[in-house]
Amino acid sequence: MTDEYTTRIGELHAKRKKHLAMGGEAKIAKQHERGKLTVRERLDLLFDAGTFVELGLLAHQQAVRGGEVDADGTPGDGVVTGHGDVDGRQVWVIAYDFTVMAGSMGAVGEQFKAARVRELALRYRKPIVWLLDSAGARIQEAAGSTFAGTGWLFADQVVMSGVIPQVAAMLGPCAAGTAYIPGLADFVPMVKGTSSMALGGSRLVKAATGEDVTDHDMGGSQVHCYESGVGDNEVENDADCIATVRRFLSFLPSSNTETPPFVEMGDPSDRLVEGLEKIVPVNPRTAYDVRRVVKPVFDRDSWFELKPTWAKNIVIGFARAGGHSVGVVANQPMQKGGALDSDSADKAARFIRMCDAFNVPLVYLMDVPGFIVGSQVEKGGIIRHGAKMLYATSEATVPKVTVIMRKAYGAGYYVMCGKGYQPDTIVAWPFAEISVMGPEGAVNIIFNKQVEASDNPEATRAQLVETIRAQINPYLAAGWAMIDDVIDPAETRRVIIKGLEQAGDKQIGRPWRKHGNIPV
Amino acid sequence: MTEVKAELVGNVWKVKTEPGAHVAEEDELLILESMKMEIPVTAPRAGTVKEVRVKEGEVVKEGQVLVVLE
Repeated sequence: MTDEYTTRIGELHAKRKKHLAMGGEAKIAKQHERGKLTVRERLDLLFDAGTFVELGLLAHQQAVRGGEVDADGTPGDGVVTGHGDVDGRQVWVIAYDFTVMAGSMGAVGEQFKAARVRELALRYRKPIVWLLDSAGARIQEAAGSTFAGTGWLFADQVVMSGVIPQVAAMLGPCAAGTAYIPGLADFVPMVKGTSSMALGGSRLVKAATGEDVTDHDMGGSQVHCYESGVGDNEVENDADCIATVRRFLSFLPSSNTETPPFVEMGDPSDRLVEGLEKIVPVNPRTAYDVRRVVKPVFDRDSWFELKPTWAKNIVIGFARAGGHSVGVVANQPMQKGGALDSDSADKAARFIRMCDAFNVPLVYLMDVPGFIVGSQVEKGGIIRHGAKMLYATSEATVPKVTVIMRKAYGAGYYVMCGKGYQPDTIVAWPFAEISVMGPEGAVNIIFNKQVEASDNPEATRAQLVETIRAQINPYLAAGWAMIDDVIDPAETRRVIIKGLEQAGDKQIGRPWRKHGNIPV
Repeated sequence: MTEVKAELVGNVWKVKTEPGAHVAEEDELLILESMKMEIPVTAPRAGTVKEVRVKEGEVVKEGQVLVVLE
């Protein structure tokens, strides 16, 4: 080897070493003090050992319109990009490095590095994960009317939507317009205490409206996982967050052209579900926690709930049924009696569409007294929001299995995949009640005159209520073959798995259209 | 002080607590009746009941304060 050759190779290794060291020891110590991992520690957790391939390690800040540049102090231009394997499957990543210029999004990092990851992930049809910990756009590079040339990333995300899974893991701030990255993503876990997102950061808010609020108070997980519904799952720390990302991806295919991975869980498909009689009250007015039904019905330890702390009157999540990945939509009688409202309809509709886009079959566990009625919910646009769930359930062409556990009332029955929405299997438990409305409401409308004319209106009303109640049991519907069967609740697991397997070759043709017009 | 509010419109079916009572987190304070369901309203945290602002049979709106804990 010549000296010159050795020198050149030495330079390369020195550059690599410098860039792998991120923003330097002091910045790394500060990152750890905040309770956060560094971007490279996070990538070690995200990918299977030794699989990460980095693109753009040697990039750094460049002069934009003659502005100041710190080429030496900006390893990677504040973002680490590349791909690695998650459970043996290729996944692409854009991971912001808060130790370099607060992970701000500069011209090199965005227009070359992040853009390349988006392009290649889509080219190869592989999932994309953002690890967000960024002060937002690097204003010194972005201010000015050349802003006119930006914005591609969201357009790219929309093109990717329903083609490849998109995850936005919130591990720090995600300020300003970049908050639309999670806004468009399929899954948004948020670390408690350190993560936040808002369309305008606190300093911008102060300037724009005069409001004094911190980034955390405005956009932390306590807002987005509990009130706004933008976040999915609140997690305790960075490691939990990344474990949650891996778990989420395990239920989905790499793209919409594949089926989800099958994972043998060692739980027999014909296992009877024991103990439901201790969980589900036969009295349809009494509440119970539907998650106690979900867990024993699906494969052991497979239940992965999404958005567990928002719109709790509906429960959504992934599980495995005989090893098959499924999306579960279940009414939650513990919250608002399980009655549906705008937020719960939005929550379910978006989940149903994600499952349908990525070939994940749907299982509906129904116990719904209907949509909440009255002036308050009408002002909130419940018709518009409820229509989203109606639309999503109707539009979904993946295998659909419906189990009517207890109540199946009104439009609640429709959006929970009643007969009209083409379930592949629809069954009821013996104490199911299926009706356009409850007996009391029906008597008020149908027999109002008889009740008023009666000598003893209350007795007449009670008698009529009982007459109607006798007609809402599932045997009338089963007698008409409008539902496929009435089953012992213990058979629920077996019936669901058989139903999914029955529909394995399902194909549905629909008329050509550019796209439907979902009520948004 | 914590205000416990109705999460949806309904009738107050049963009041199961009274001023001065000590309650644990998740204890039932009252039961609403709405949408054909008995909907338990539970204490969001442990504390002492300062006020019960509703009576059985009363119609309450979403967001209305039912019980005040301290």
